Amino acid sequence: MKPILQLTAIQKSFGAVRALKGVSFELLPGEVHALLGENGAGKSTLIKVITGAHQPDGGKLIVAGVEVSHLTPAKARELGIACIYQQPALFPDLTVAENIGLRLKKTGALSRIRWASQRTLAVELLHRIGAEISPDAEVGSLSMPEQQLVEIACALGSGARIVIMDEPTASLTQKEQHLLFKVVHDLRASGVGVVYISHRLEEIFALADRVTVLRDGESVGTNPVADLSEAAMIKLMVGREVSSIYPPATGEPGAVVLALKNLGCAASGVSGVTLDVRAGEIVGMAGLVGAGRTELARILFGITPADAGEIGLNGEQISISNPREAIAHGIAYVPEDRRRHGVILEMPIAHNMTMAIHPKIFPGTWLRFGAENLLACEFIRDLGIKAYGPDAPGGSLSGGNQQKVSVARWLATKPKLLILDEPTQGVDVGAKSEIHKIIRELAREGLAVLMISSDLPEVLGMSDRVAVMRGGKLVEMIAKENADAHTVMAAALGTNGKDAA
Amino acid sequence: MSKYFRELTVAAALGLLMASLAIFAPHFFQWQPFISRLTSQMPALAAAIGIALVIISRQIDISIGSQFGMCAIIAGVTAASGLPLGVAIFAAIGAGAAMGALNGVLVAYLGLPSIVVTLATMVTWQEALRLWQQGRLLNLPAGIQWFGLSQPTGQAIVISLAFVLLVGAAWGMKNLAAGRFIHATGTDAEAARLAGIDPRHTTFAVFVLMGGLAGLAAVLNLVQSPQVQPNCGDGLELKAIAAAVVGGVAISGGRGTLWGVLLGMLLLANVNPALTHFHQPPYWEKAIQGLVILLAVVADGIRSRKTKI
Amino acid sequence: MSSTRSFSIKSLLARHETVLVLVILLEVLLFQTLGKNFLVGKNLSNVFRHSVEIGLLAVAMTPVILTGGIDLSVGSMMGLCAVLFGMMVNRFGLPPYLAGLVAVLFGALGGGMNAVLITRLNLPPLIVTLGTFSLFRGLAEALTKGAESYSGFPKSFLALGNADLAGLPAQIWVFFAVAAAIWLMVHQTTLGRSFRAIGYASEGARYAGIPVARNTSLAYIIAGAVAGLAAVILVARLGEARANAGIGYELLAITAVVLGGVSIFGGSGTVAGTLLGWIALAILNNGLTRISDYRIMDQPVASVARELSGLLTGLLLLAALAIGATMKALAIRRARKQSLSKTTPNPAIS
Repeated sequence: MKPILQLTAIQKSFGAVRALKGVSFELLPGEVHALLGENGAGKSTLIKVITGAHQPDGGKLIVAGVEVSHLTPAKARELGIACIYQQPALFPDLTVAENIGLRLKKTGALSRIRWASQRTLAVELLHRIGAEISPDAEVGSLSMPEQQLVEIACALGSGARIVIMDEPTASLTQKEQHLLFKVVHDLRASGVGVVYISHRLEEIFALADRVTVLRDGESVGTNPVADLSEAAMIKLMVGREVSSIYPPATGEPGAVVLALKNLGCAASGVSGVTLDVRAGEIVGMAGLVGAGRTELARILFGITPADAGEIGLNGEQISISNPREAIAHGIAYVPEDRRRHGVILEMPIAHNMTMAIHPKIFPGTWLRFGAENLLACEFIRDLGIKAYGPDAPGGSLSGGNQQKVSVARWLATKPKLLILDEPTQGVDVGAKSEIHKIIRELAREGLAVLMISSDLPEVLGMSDRVAVMRGGKLVEMIAKENADAHTVMAAALGTNGKDAA
Repeated sequence: MSKYFRELTVAAALGLLMASLAIFAPHFFQWQPFISRLTSQMPALAAAIGIALVIISRQIDISIGSQFGMCAIIAGVTAASGLPLGVAIFAAIGAGAAMGALNGVLVAYLGLPSIVVTLATMVTWQEALRLWQQGRLLNLPAGIQWFGLSQPTGQAIVISLAFVLLVGAAWGMKNLAAGRFIHATGTDAEAARLAGIDPRHTTFAVFVLMGGLAGLAAVLNLVQSPQVQPNCGDGLELKAIAAAVVGGVAISGGRGTLWGVLLGMLLLANVNPALTHFHQPPYWEKAIQGLVILLAVVADGIRSRKTKI
Repeated sequence: MSSTRSFSIKSLLARHETVLVLVILLEVLLFQTLGKNFLVGKNLSNVFRHSVEIGLLAVAMTPVILTGGIDLSVGSMMGLCAVLFGMMVNRFGLPPYLAGLVAVLFGALGGGMNAVLITRLNLPPLIVTLGTFSLFRGLAEALTKGAESYSGFPKSFLALGNADLAGLPAQIWVFFAVAAAIWLMVHQTTLGRSFRAIGYASEGARYAGIPVARNTSLAYIIAGAVAGLAAVILVARLGEARANAGIGYELLAITAVVLGGVSIFGGSGTVAGTLLGWIALAILNNGLTRISDYRIMDQPVASVARELSGLLTGLLLLAALAIGATMKALAIRRARKQSLSKTTPNPAIS
């Protein structure tokens, strides 16, 4: 059978960050081809290359035997490529039918909108996937899973020969997942090629025919799913045995640094969180996307202040209403979205590193460039940051080194509690294990560390204890000895722990 | 209903103003002055329709006053040289579209911020016009004022042209794919791109349309008097933007209706005549207009704050 | 060695400020050759005497634009402060310098109003200051009933606008003080650093514990206060306070700032750039009035100098914008090519 999609040595860089270093991939008609890789391995970038949202810097893209250059989203659609994005790319002010119409009907600017046929089409598609959504509802009023279903309806209705699904189940409930799986089976039966991306290995085993693993922006192999075990897949993803890559814990944790009692914030959907973090201890925080982990961190850092419960720090009751208070109390937060919140890409890394300690390093508000430079050079040396100097703009560094700059900014505050949110997302494997070493070293020096991560091996490998969140609540606290992939995933998914074990 | 909250509020405010005028100053509604006033507000309405489209696509154009002046003089000069009115109208609209295209190229294809680009073109056209005309009044040949017809007929034509434009544009925004492209581009340019709409082409087209409408507005203004002044467009950009903002067009893009723009236009334009008819000094006009704009945005701010929490 | 040197010359040439200095030199050369009495002490001091107000607004606008905002209300604020100042001196008999102080404070208050709306209600600066643009001018017109003006100020006060001090126009010294203060603030204090951070990524700045709302507010308050000061200086120069003081000045100030290389998106730019942008505009304005031997559109250049300089200002701004955008696009393309050729194997081999 001839492949309907063939990628050869695709490359793509963003500034100094090389997201794809030469990826090859092929898709056959009537095949579900899973794309697997850790966060930041380049999956999302690859998809955007296939849909024309990103122009590759090098490599070949062949669709149905014809080489395509300068692909745009509009052209991709003509070629029969459809995509369900992780974040629904819908227009909240328009109705479901209008969104479906906008996505599916390639029209000239001056053509009239045919309301009746547009609505009929929407009704039919929603019916085909079994979704109970009114075509006249405004998309903004739908829940996240419902919006995802609209995306799926769009992909289905496009009559595409190539359908890409980027973590389509991330926000779906069980019921909607079943609808989705049925759609995938139908597509496959009708000869459509499906590129399926998911973190959940069990889905890949259930749905996919073949799997291609990406690591650090490179494709490391394509295999029939039947030939691989779960462990083998993880090994391909991570690149080495899981157990060997994490620095070991040492010593007993000290006094309780952070004590949360029934903490909640209605606006961000977090409630009743009770949690202790001790000095010298790394508490890993697992859960699905949207489980409220980042939201909890934002509460602790005063970005969305708590409206219920108590926060104790070193035995004192405190209240935190903005980040400055949090910093003053010795709380540091390395945020998840590095490019938006962690590092200001246009500014020199020295400026980035001192940004949270202005009152300390620049008493009396005058800038002291010498002191700043010195501090930056120390961090560059201590954390092994690869940059041409303290003046290098943040954007000129690779993802891993940017992350180290972000960490340096917070270490400069000399915190008592360090909250890390997805510390190794979008970081290549080498830098990743360096960051892990840094985190462990910090804990050893007596810092209390709360580490949010969606990377299961990382949570298991790094944590002294694992806290699992689901639906804005902390549902389980698992000691290191009892923490394995199944118990953590079962708690995060809310399936019965006994069944999973 | 809450979706049209702003339109309803502005309609209520306008209704209140009209009602109190009807009770306390009924001569406001004397037919001839009333119609004259309405006619004189139509050019700004045409410009406000254009600016509403620009703002909905999440851009701004502050050069429309200069474009308007330039188009008016171009039409005037064309007419004064003896060419028929139709040619003059065509010249005005064409010149406007060309000036809009320059803005469009710089904003859409070079990725420059529209506020600075249109600031620069505003200054450029304004001063070029001054240099060209030296502040002289341009006398128009007979047969231009009121299209060479009687005043009431001319007024009727101006008003109906503006309303045909409004109804057509409102219909198009709802029922043509183009309207949806503009909304989508203003709501989320990236999502629009993923849906196969090129936000650059859309933005460019909106600026060209804006220029063309500025030209049309200039024509609607031109036919109302026997002369044309080079500075006739001064301050038009603020009037139009204010009308759009008060009428509920969100400056953050993607939201707003042209009916709201009409209401905002009528409310702001009638502040001054209302002051006169209530025997209040007219020099409060600008302050009141400023206050109305601020009230509108503050209302927006408070509402979005509430929905966020 | 040679490569590092060529790199530094290149980067010096690429600097916006260097280009502006060249533009200014070119202007001086041109006007000196074509015009009469351009490089004469009295004329040069006039160049700056007549544009100090715009210079003040431009310098104070710089921090605002660095935060990614804009303030369209400063020109109107000048009108309102001028009128208030005139009333205080003329009607209530306040000593001019006390009244001047009150005008500055009032300007700060108006800036504070912008700041509250922008930072507390999260409203877009463009539209808020468009509203106050209208409001402030409207209040000025209302206070003067649309026509009144105030004059008859004491000579000692008018000296601020017309006399010389140590060989330079008196008001230039005030300008130097303000420009130096704002330069220090922008380039030497944590406040200035935070303006940049806010302009580049206001959320990112918040995550770093920078008091974003407070610092952004300060930028608008300073802009308002300086507008008040500019109003007082304008009144001292003209000897008259009118509601139309400073009409259109906000645009000239923004033009100077953008011409000076301050990014309208916020974050990058220098006070020195703004000053150079302002000087380039001031010289253009004045220089054209010195050219009487050449004619344009059948008029001596000098008699249409205002229009011509406005036109050239607009074109200059457009050119600066277009060149800047093109350079940026080219730089990105080059960087991409470099990173590709440096680090990846040739795909043709595999």
